[in-house]
Amino acid sequence: MTTWGALVDRQRRTVSPRVFTDPEVYRAEQERIFARCWLYVAHESQIPQPGDFVTNYMGEEPVIVCRDNAGQVRVFVNSCRHRGMRICRTDAGNTRAFQCPYHGWTYDVRGRLIGVPQAQEAYHGELKREDWGLPEAPRVEAYRGLVFASFDTAAESLDAYLGEMKWYLDALFNRSAGGWVVLPGVHKWSLKGNWKLAAEQFGGDNYHVMAGHESMARLGLFPAGKTSGDEPWTRDFEAVTDRGHGWINLAIPDPPQVAEVLGPYLAQVRAQAQQRLQPAQASLIGCTHVGTIFPHCSVISFNGMTSIRLWHPRGPKRMEVWSWGLVERDAPAAVVAMARKMQILTFSPSGIFEQDDGEMWGQCVEAMGGVFRRQFPLNYQMGAGYGRRDPEKPGLIHPPSTEISVFAFHERWQTLMGNDTGARP
Amino acid sequence: MNAGALRHEFEDLLYHEAWLLDHDKLEEWLTLCAEQIRYWAPIRSNGARGTEDWSNIRGLAHFDEDKTSLTMRVQRIRTGAAHADEPPARVRHLVSNVRVMNGDGQLANVTSNFIVFKSRPGRDEALFVGCREDRWRRCDGTWKLEERLIVLDHDVIENVTVFF
Repeated sequence: MTTWGALVDRQRRTVSPRVFTDPEVYRAEQERIFARCWLYVAHESQIPQPGDFVTNYMGEEPVIVCRDNAGQVRVFVNSCRHRGMRICRTDAGNTRAFQCPYHGWTYDVRGRLIGVPQAQEAYHGELKREDWGLPEAPRVEAYRGLVFASFDTAAESLDAYLGEMKWYLDALFNRSAGGWVVLPGVHKWSLKGNWKLAAEQFGGDNYHVMAGHESMARLGLFPAGKTSGDEPWTRDFEAVTDRGHGWINLAIPDPPQVAEVLGPYLAQVRAQAQQRLQPAQASLIGCTHVGTIFPHCSVISFNGMTSIRLWHPRGPKRMEVWSWGLVERDAPAAVVAMARKMQILTFSPSGIFEQDDGEMWGQCVEAMGGVFRRQFPLNYQMGAGYGRRDPEKPGLIHPPSTEISVFAFHERWQTLMGNDTGARP
Repeated sequence: MNAGALRHEFEDLLYHEAWLLDHDKLEEWLTLCAEQIRYWAPIRSNGARGTEDWSNIRGLAHFDEDKTSLTMRVQRIRTGAAHADEPPARVRHLVSNVRVMNGDGQLANVTSNFIVFKSRPGRDEALFVGCREDRWRRCDGTWKLEERLIVLDHDVIENVTVFF
């Protein structure tokens, strides 16, 4: 039996190309990563009322995220217990029940089978409905409006899973009293590339910006020759926490047209944040934040826009990106309009940053997967050993650019994938 | 001008526009756009029949551009470092079903369908299908595009590196 863990070499700090291209690795990930980890499924603002639901995926499995009549959020695999048909084929809505279009089995918003056509005539009254509820993710928990689910009954709490990364999430999602809401619509696009290339990049690859987004530097959208500001360790840094979560914080000033709209609003947010955040957290307000919550949920807050996105796995060499836009509930109309416009312009299927990333991830998997090439491991050595602990910020801190966070993502991947016994790491 | 002649005029104009886009004459294409242009492409959703509200201007979109941002997108391509379009894609616009409504000589609402084929090195190919609802205004004797609503018929889309 192959030990997938051997594909990550902690001594040399290298990763095998097979991690990103091998169909067997990909299949194993579905069980060892996606069936075990906490996966982001929705934002609470999308389903405020009982009966509200959205559809999404957990890895490759379609799910319904639904608020039941008691106000509890439940996550069901979107597949009828009878023949497996997808019972809900719409993006979102409000309902009292989900009826399967194939034979008409009907489930309530708690996932209980409440209706079976011809229960007497065809089943002779012998079908025990209580045994045939929807497959339900056993664990659903939320943090700061972000709803996560896990298929692993024995998973640690979401609170423990997010761990020190909560401090960074708070700096963004807990800075204002009104909280955040999701804009209407989901950007969905299909890309060549392995999901981990996207997840690792958002978790800590600031190094790619100069070359990968060179066109934007040439147009003056960020300072030429620089990929971060002038405050290493304090406001220009990367942080990595346990379980492979990574966060990039950059103090690059917004372009004037963004700063003009955002500046007065952020002053109000900072005032609110004094009551809500530690001073070191509040000092990060207005910075660019880019992060990944292991395995495949990323956050980017940049140039006035904020997005949460999932890099849905779709085979070793393809991913489907689902990206939501978020704004603060109390933000004035001009700030909301700016967020929407900047998200469309920068990080969307037509985004002037996003397009370049998509090209890289696709061409990486096309180029590195061959039987000869894959003998040569990929280099993750940058800045190793140059991180340090910080009295004010949790996690291991390092200035951009290093690959400490990026490699930590793969160390976590190795811990989960290398566990051939099935025992809990 | 009679309706047939006006439609013929816009067919010529839209074919010319497609030719510009297919031959990398993006700066010339920008001259067809009015200074106050709104160029936008809402995203689509899957819901009950008749409930889709893609004209919700609060929602996310694939494009929502003005002249400044369209120009910036073209300038970006011209840096030679817009990696998603290097080497440049082969692009082909097929435009059909042209209808002109409310044409009064100064203002014309023009709808058309399109298929756009994009080919990158290797088997990297994409198709984009949809319709456009345009408003053209005659300025100094030439038609300028004042608003273009692009309704793409896709749920999950490919990297959008082309103009429609």
